[in-house]
Amino acid sequence: MSTKSDKAQLVASKKWLKLQKSLAGNSLTASVVLSIGAGLCLIGQSAVLAYVVNQVVFLERQWQQLNSWLLLLIALILLRVLLVKYTEKLAFKGANKIKLQLRETLYQKLQVLGPAYVDQQHSAALAQLLHQGVDSLEAYYAKYLPAVAFCAIIPLAILAIVFPVDWRTAIIFFVTAPLIPMFMILIGLKSEKLNQQHWQKLSRMSNHFLDVLQGMSHLKLFNASRAEAAAIAKIADGYRRSTMSILKIAFLSSFALEFLATLSVAMVAVTVGFRLYWGELDFAIGFMMLLLAPEFYLPFRNLGTQYHAKMKGVAAAEQMLEIINAQPLQTGSSLFQTGQPETGNSASGTGQRFEIEYKNVSFEYAAQRKALKSVSLKIDQPDMYAFVGPSGAGKSTLIDLLLGFLSPSQGEILVNQQSLATLDRKSWQQHLAWVPQNPQLIFASLLENIQLANPNASVEQVKQAAHLAGVDQFVDNFKEGWQHPITEQGGGVSGGQKQRIAMARVFLKDAPILILDEPSAHLDAETEAWLKRTLKAYAKDHYVFIVAHRLHSIVDCNAIFVLDDGQIVAQGSHTQLLDSSDLYQHLFAASNTYNERAKTEGTADE
Amino acid sequence: MSNWQVIVRLLKLARPHWQWLSVGILLSVITLLANIALLSVAGWFIAAMAAAGIAGVSINYFTPSGVIRFLAIVRTVGRYAERLVTHNATFLMLAHLRHWFYQKLEPLAPAGLHQYRSSDLLSRLQADIEQLDNFYLRIALPVIVALISVPIIYSVSAYYYLPVALLLLLSLIATGVVLPAWVAKTSQKSGARISDQQEQLSSAMIEGLQGMRELEIYGASEQQKAHVVRCSEQLSATQTQLNNVNANGQSASLAIINLCMWGSLILLSGAVVGGHIQSGELIMLLLLVIGAFEAVLPLPLAFEQLASTLAAAKRLFQLADQEPVRVEPVQAQPIDHLASHNQLDITINQLSFCYPNAEHAALSNFSFEVKQGEKIALTGKSGSGKSTIVQLLQGFYPCDRGAISIGGIDINDCAGEALRQQISLVSQTCYLFSASIRDNLLLANPKATDQELAAACEIAGAIDFIDALPQGLDTWLGETGKGLSGGQARRIHIAQALLKNSPILILDEPTEGLDPITEQSVMAAIWQLMADKTVILITHNPRLLKAVDRVYSLS
Repeated sequence: MSTKSDKAQLVASKKWLKLQKSLAGNSLTASVVLSIGAGLCLIGQSAVLAYVVNQVVFLERQWQQLNSWLLLLIALILLRVLLVKYTEKLAFKGANKIKLQLRETLYQKLQVLGPAYVDQQHSAALAQLLHQGVDSLEAYYAKYLPAVAFCAIIPLAILAIVFPVDWRTAIIFFVTAPLIPMFMILIGLKSEKLNQQHWQKLSRMSNHFLDVLQGMSHLKLFNASRAEAAAIAKIADGYRRSTMSILKIAFLSSFALEFLATLSVAMVAVTVGFRLYWGELDFAIGFMMLLLAPEFYLPFRNLGTQYHAKMKGVAAAEQMLEIINAQPLQTGSSLFQTGQPETGNSASGTGQRFEIEYKNVSFEYAAQRKALKSVSLKIDQPDMYAFVGPSGAGKSTLIDLLLGFLSPSQGEILVNQQSLATLDRKSWQQHLAWVPQNPQLIFASLLENIQLANPNASVEQVKQAAHLAGVDQFVDNFKEGWQHPITEQGGGVSGGQKQRIAMARVFLKDAPILILDEPSAHLDAETEAWLKRTLKAYAKDHYVFIVAHRLHSIVDCNAIFVLDDGQIVAQGSHTQLLDSSDLYQHLFAASNTYNERAKTEGTADE
Repeated sequence: MSNWQVIVRLLKLARPHWQWLSVGILLSVITLLANIALLSVAGWFIAAMAAAGIAGVSINYFTPSGVIRFLAIVRTVGRYAERLVTHNATFLMLAHLRHWFYQKLEPLAPAGLHQYRSSDLLSRLQADIEQLDNFYLRIALPVIVALISVPIIYSVSAYYYLPVALLLLLSLIATGVVLPAWVAKTSQKSGARISDQQEQLSSAMIEGLQGMRELEIYGASEQQKAHVVRCSEQLSATQTQLNNVNANGQSASLAIINLCMWGSLILLSGAVVGGHIQSGELIMLLLLVIGAFEAVLPLPLAFEQLASTLAAAKRLFQLADQEPVRVEPVQAQPIDHLASHNQLDITINQLSFCYPNAEHAALSNFSFEVKQGEKIALTGKSGSGKSTIVQLLQGFYPCDRGAISIGGIDINDCAGEALRQQISLVSQTCYLFSASIRDNLLLANPKATDQELAAACEIAGAIDFIDALPQGLDTWLGETGKGLSGGQARRIHIAQALLKNSPILILDEPTEGLDPITEQSVMAAIWQLMADKTVILITHNPRLLKAVDRVYSLS
């Protein structure tokens, strides 16, 4: 990647971040307004304080004579405290609103982009981005942006008040103020890069340590574990050396800032002192200048401390923007415009007839990665159809196309002579049922997890479907029976039980087309045999498509399609293919090892 | 372990770098006091100048204005030096801590790390160590600096006017100790809830993303999305509660600081009238009061970190303090000479074994015998103790009942390292490090030449895919060998075993987790590896079983 496009990306994500501010409604603006109010209170407070001190010290008044001024002072203090409190709360509220909405938007967008995109980007990484990534924006909106606004307004306000009363001090402020951003930019540019290096090094060192912990028993096997202690010390020390050389420069920026600020305060004090000595200045004004001087520079120093909030926010935004800008994985015609499938919506899918045809269908995920190369096939009888082939042959892509999650780059898929691309995805999917390798349970009761497949079904119908799938065999194991709550990650339901719940959904939905991905992967021998029988019966009046690695589960199929490198290289029944296809023979021989193993194991892995 | 004990131990761990740490503390104190002095002297200076101007008397202004400049420089340069020194000290501690912890852990592994088997828990361990990295910078330093500078500030102000000093001291304690403690106590409940809610959100999202196909097909996507949004809202509500407590704490501390200043103003005005202090000193002390709070401002953060740091330290100390499960023999019997005399027979006699803290025995009364060069297989259901035998043979646990002997020597009397020198292992659980392929191979035999590496890869069938990589042997493997397929990783393990070339070879489900086609091709490499070795094979693979002399079945 060139640095130019990197930079453009950075600019784009910064811009995008700022645009999202509007999601917060008025909260962020209100917070900034309140914080400016607090800043003005502070200026007022300094003025009153200077006045009171002057009265006591030089005009020898007693404090009892200054009651009203002291009351004003405490009122200003309390008002400022209140303003600061609500500034914080509002900023957080605004940031929170943005976070909630962004998280929802991103999740929604991922739903639009579809499962193929999610698989490619790794679901765990995406979940991390939507969770911690979005959370990291909080500091950006609640801390960094207000600090920027504060920086732009408070020094100006102080300048505006100081100038009429003491122009000499105003000039000191005026001359040093632009130097600060200049220094910050000059050194900041360099230290931004250095800072990134620092974080990279830190994470590399951390990863090494974790790596060593994870692989400790392997290290022991090679008697290398004791030597590793020295390596750990060396790496950590190397990290220290390189980081320190980075920090020497990175700290310079805050050094320059403090140096300027402190020196200016000292300068103000000294010049004020001399003018007081010469009688050119009223003490109250002079003292007020001394009080305001540090406050003038404070916003700049605060901005420096929010630097990481900004870095983290921009980094997260870059990844979010990628999702926002991503196009659904489709080329050619627009996917699933509205329109009804020809078959209509009859209540039962049993016995419904379909004609499904792949016509020279190709698909590519990226320019060079052709997953399917001009595949043609035609299916019109209800039966069991199997797709086999080595991993990466294109089986999953072929199925994702039929499920409607992808649409062909070239060619088309016809359903009853109507192009799938012209159908509405939702209504097409009503004709489909799908059982993946690892069926997903949702955060609801066991009953509701089955009912999912047909929300209109009565409890009786659900239980009937559950009975067919053998769910009722284990429902009594749960204390709450049908109401057993499925909590995190499928809580307390085994792999075989999940498969049965998935089959219950199939029976309940009774869709004419059923697609299964490697259905016997995680099953014990008993469940596997049951599933085989069940599917065989179901395929008599339904279209059943099976993607399989373990070939023994599909030997009864009449139509087996053998895929290799994105093409259908052979098709036929098991016996036909054993004769005609080398690849099939090879696959079958290899998968037989699995067979025998399953037998020796008795009950396979759970 | 009480909290105090933990703190004392943490401080003891810092002992090797005490010079750096103390210089850091010293610099921090100097910088802090210089800033307070700068403010106060500046205040005193303008008051004195104004007074002299009004009275028309001359005054030595060179000294105070010089002092002001001097303090300004001490403040800024001191701050820079302080940051460098304290960070350097932190990194020194960090290196020391990791080294110390690793050395404690190394003799315990893998048996002592039994409860940390999942990578999740290991990450927590890692997070615990990172938490300790901040102990010095975020907790010890600000607390010690406050403990040193607050009495100084108090003494100076008390020297001039005791009531103000007392008010200041109370206010400092209120902002530095009372308020943070109140915040910590108030946010305790929400803090406990938040990690649960974070977990819920994560799993809701992962379910929704991984199960997207299914949820779409059954039209349940909206339902899942609603669940995700609900989790997100719950989390955010708790975050808001926590933030509100913090905001309240912060504004309360702002109130205390300013009210203290206000109170001081009145007290000092009275003192001027009463003749306790001079009028110039009023301004000096007033500014001292305002500046003094810098000493306690980092304390709330220190408080916030304290509880989690102590908890992390406790977990780590507990882990590090464990006794090794297998104690190395005082006088180890050598076994390395036995192989060349063809005497490296393995005998397991009436062996029973129960893992520490486990209820059921993993093995009971098991016996077998392998002569050097023989090949045997162990079969049995999962949980029948096959992997336990592998652990015991490697000397990771002591054999309590029954015995394993190698070449007639009880392995309890062998040094663990000497034992493992004789053994190679290929299994599904073998690990690849984040390092180059070359480094991973060299682990097995650090002296191997490039030709030897290439030869081993050739036999293991790894040479083709390694050569196809743009950087060949120097290709960096990511997290747990990411970027390699299961079959490729297994081949590298086979190459490692070839390079180690030890007389005993243990194969623990060497083809597990591979797809059928890869399995077949890896098998060829395994035959090569098994030649001339004593082989203990754990498998269900019937083809592998054909290659052994005897099969033992465990139940």
